[in-house]
Amino acid sequence: MKNNNFLKLAIAIVSVSLVMFLTPAYSQENPKLSDAEVASVAVVANQIDIDYAEIAKKRSKNKDVLKFSGTMKNDHTAVIGQAAALVKKLGVTPKDNAVSQKLLANAKKIKTTLNSTSGKSFDKAYIDNEVTYHKSVINAVESLLIPETENPELRELLQNVLPALKTHLEHAVMLQTKIANK
Amino acid sequence: MKNTIDILKFSIWTICTGLFLLSCKITPETTVPAKHIVEIKAMKFQPAELIVNSGDTVIWVNRDLVAHDVTEEPGKSWTSSVMPAGASWSLVVTKSADYYCSIHVVMKGKLLVQ
Repeated sequence: MKNNNFLKLAIAIVSVSLVMFLTPAYSQENPKLSDAEVASVAVVANQIDIDYAEIAKKRSKNKDVLKFSGTMKNDHTAVIGQAAALVKKLGVTPKDNAVSQKLLANAKKIKTTLNSTSGKSFDKAYIDNEVTYHKSVINAVESLLIPETENPELRELLQNVLPALKTHLEHAVMLQTKIANK
Repeated sequence: MKNTIDILKFSIWTICTGLFLLSCKITPETTVPAKHIVEIKAMKFQPAELIVNSGDTVIWVNRDLVAHDVTEEPGKSWTSSVMPAGASWSLVVTKSADYYCSIHVVMKGKLLVQ
């Protein structure tokens, strides 16, 4: 039980710090990103959710959670495919940057926490994180990535991804309620 | 002679007109089944609610970046199976139904047969 509380606290701390980092209003400085850096952030953000889905596939036995994580893996893989095709067409090479690195650092902590849980605790931790993660990524795409993007095709791709992210969030919130009521 | 030809012409015209009017009356009223397009775009069925006649064909076209499906609910009595981006699927509709995307369960649509 004590261990469970610690896990909840750890995920909460990492999640809140992620939201604070990705929300320009909270960050000390609104980072300026080139299109190559925006492309990198987009790919990294999608890959992180694929990684979370892979953990869910290994650690959950809940059919709703497994189905949701499968959808996350397929959808985010499709988005990376679209992004890869676009950057190739535009001749842009995604460039590593502070935002990508921060995302990866936070994801590493969350993956460690998720990998240390199992059963119902895992299901709750995974879905709670999916809700928080999608909220923060939607916020980042709307208030950071789209405004920073100069190329209209890259901006259009980001705008086209937003409805999928919002649907994922809605689905995750629905599962969060279902799991909490079990 | 001329009078006979005129009478013959008039008779033929009367018979043809009569037959035409008769054929219009005895031919049963038929409507050609219509085709309707539902676009799957921005994670929504557009239009989400569609009114059709029994026998009409509805074609769903996936214009999103991600795969979807079209599945009757709640019984899953028919489904498109997975439709990758760019794919389409059609159904001849004979009764009203609610449907959803079983991949993204918050996406819902409705077919109303009038």
